[in-house]
Amino acid sequence: MAAAVAALAMLAMGLQYRLVETRLMQAQRALLTADLDGFAALYDQRRIIAVREAIALRAASGADEMLLLMDRQGGVLAGTLPGWPEGLARQGGGFTIDPAQEIIRDGHRWLAVARELPGGFPLLLGRSLQPVDDTLADLRRGMLGLLLAVLLAAGGTGWLAARWVMARIGRVNALADRVAGGDLSARLPGPRAPDEFGLLETHVHAMLDRIENLNRATHHLSDTIAHELRTPLNRMVQRLARLEGQEEEVGALKAEMRQAIRMFDALLDISRAEADQGGGGLVPVDLSSVAAEVWELYEPLAEDKGLLPRAEVASGLQVLGDRTLIAQVVANLLDNAIKYCGPGDSLALTVATEGGRHVLRLADSGPGLPAGLREEAFDRFTRADRDRARGIKGHGLGLALVRAIAARHGARLILPQTARGLTVELAFPVLAEGGV
Amino acid sequence: MTEHTTDRILPDRILIIEDDAETAAAVAAAVRDLGCTPVHRDTLDDGVAEAALGGYRVIVLDRMLPGGDGVEAMARIRAGGSGALILILSALGRAAQRVEGLEKGADDYLPKPFEPEELRARLRALLRRGTMQVLDNDLMAFGDLEIRLKARTVHVKLTHVPVSPKEFELITYFARHSGQTVTRMQLLENVWNLHFDPGTNVVDVHVGRLRRKLEEAGSHAIQTARGEGYVFAPLPGAG
Repeated sequence: MAAAVAALAMLAMGLQYRLVETRLMQAQRALLTADLDGFAALYDQRRIIAVREAIALRAASGADEMLLLMDRQGGVLAGTLPGWPEGLARQGGGFTIDPAQEIIRDGHRWLAVARELPGGFPLLLGRSLQPVDDTLADLRRGMLGLLLAVLLAAGGTGWLAARWVMARIGRVNALADRVAGGDLSARLPGPRAPDEFGLLETHVHAMLDRIENLNRATHHLSDTIAHELRTPLNRMVQRLARLEGQEEEVGALKAEMRQAIRMFDALLDISRAEADQGGGGLVPVDLSSVAAEVWELYEPLAEDKGLLPRAEVASGLQVLGDRTLIAQVVANLLDNAIKYCGPGDSLALTVATEGGRHVLRLADSGPGLPAGLREEAFDRFTRADRDRARGIKGHGLGLALVRAIAARHGARLILPQTARGLTVELAFPVLAEGGV
Repeated sequence: MTEHTTDRILPDRILIIEDDAETAAAVAAAVRDLGCTPVHRDTLDDGVAEAALGGYRVIVLDRMLPGGDGVEAMARIRAGGSGALILILSALGRAAQRVEGLEKGADDYLPKPFEPEELRARLRALLRRGTMQVLDNDLMAFGDLEIRLKARTVHVKLTHVPVSPKEFELITYFARHSGQTVTRMQLLENVWNLHFDPGTNVVDVHVGRLRRKLEEAGSHAIQTARGEGYVFAPLPGAG
């Protein structure tokens, strides 16, 4: 854009320059023609003598002119030059302007007519083109300056406009990032501008309001369902406890009910963690000690199952979080890993600071995620077919809860590609020293 | 154990503040199972007024009641002069809500739906806490099983039983609730400070290890309680 404007300006200025140059040359020609006409008139009256007198008079005036009249033997009769310029051809014998020629003398250009008057008298008349060249040089400098100014102005205007547009788009982008990060209540501050950008922001806001309301309604519904179901479940549990006999049936029913309750609880925990995203309520938590405690709880279970558990926990890593939720995440991941791994599989927990984040990593050498389940493994109720086939129990909510709790803490949930098994990484934002 | 005689003469009274009749009846049944007398109130205001009359060892308090939230009412109950221990029994049973209830002064928090055994274990622990004498030395002795709190050591028949730090906390918790059924949930909450149900037998593995160590040393102090948990019964016939 700026380049096109500059190119147009340059073209216009180029045309202007040619025009001025032509006009100035024409003016010099006209002056030379006038001189020639004057000398022609003198020549008509008294031939060489008159011309010689006129030239001598003009030369004496000291004007910066090129005048020279010589005799047949090459002696100077009158003029401003000491002799005929070397290599200058004499063209014709009249007092007409054509043919004229440009010569260089004293370091600048002259428009000159070189003649040999009848009888062998060389005559040279010339006008300095210095004023023309000076004017053109001035013009060129002026144009160059102007061109630079145009380029700067065009570039500057373009940059400002782009910056303004980018800033407006950047606002919407930043908002989209915050929403993608889980903060559904994020909105742009300040009034909307009365332009297309303002309209875009208004539309984005309306869209977010709708999503947020739907989301809230969904959460509220799942909370209400879970709470309302607790009352009848509670009665069932109480009545079941009063049953006499049929121990086995009662035990199985109790176990089923416990499983159902756990499922409600997991759903509640997920919706709560999701609803709380971006909100407050987090306090400094020692990630290292929570991870170590939960690890300590599960390690014997892993050992009993024949796994090779190994933990490497850097001490004192603080994050902003909820102790119970973090413990739940670690417990869910460990529970999951122990469930799928078999004797001889390794199970390694690492807690360390990597790349400016506190990273909790659990790596196992078990069967890993089935192909095609990587993306949805963390969705609610996702269970691999092979689990059902192998009779592995679960409700498919454990990893969904892991994802919800990770998001609640602003932690990135990563599943690095590994040759074997499953590795899950949670990268928590580092809690600033002494800050909350 | 001298308290038992007075217990039999004057049964402990337990106040139940609960608006759901079915739940209240189940709680009352559990209270009677423990040999205590239940008193039921179904609104918060009535309950707070009743608590102020005094004489209650434990108050079982619901959260979502006509008249307000039980957790918020705890301060009023305390202000009324009641020294009763408070067990919150609520459908608001998620970890965060439990932690909130405990932080605001509840002595225990049991989510609904609950199993009667769990409630009984909790109530028994609270009743016990009310009478437990402050240990003025660091030795807890149960026949030939000795636990030294400062040295954090366990001896059976004068033989040292090596236990991990967690196993020591586990046996100490058992010892403090000697003779009572202790549920897995209680162990998770009190020994591991975890307020969620991991849904696996993680606790059993730890108790199993401790139990084997004790058994190898000749003590059968830890026994499985039918259905719901464990009993620490180091002395034959005790508890």
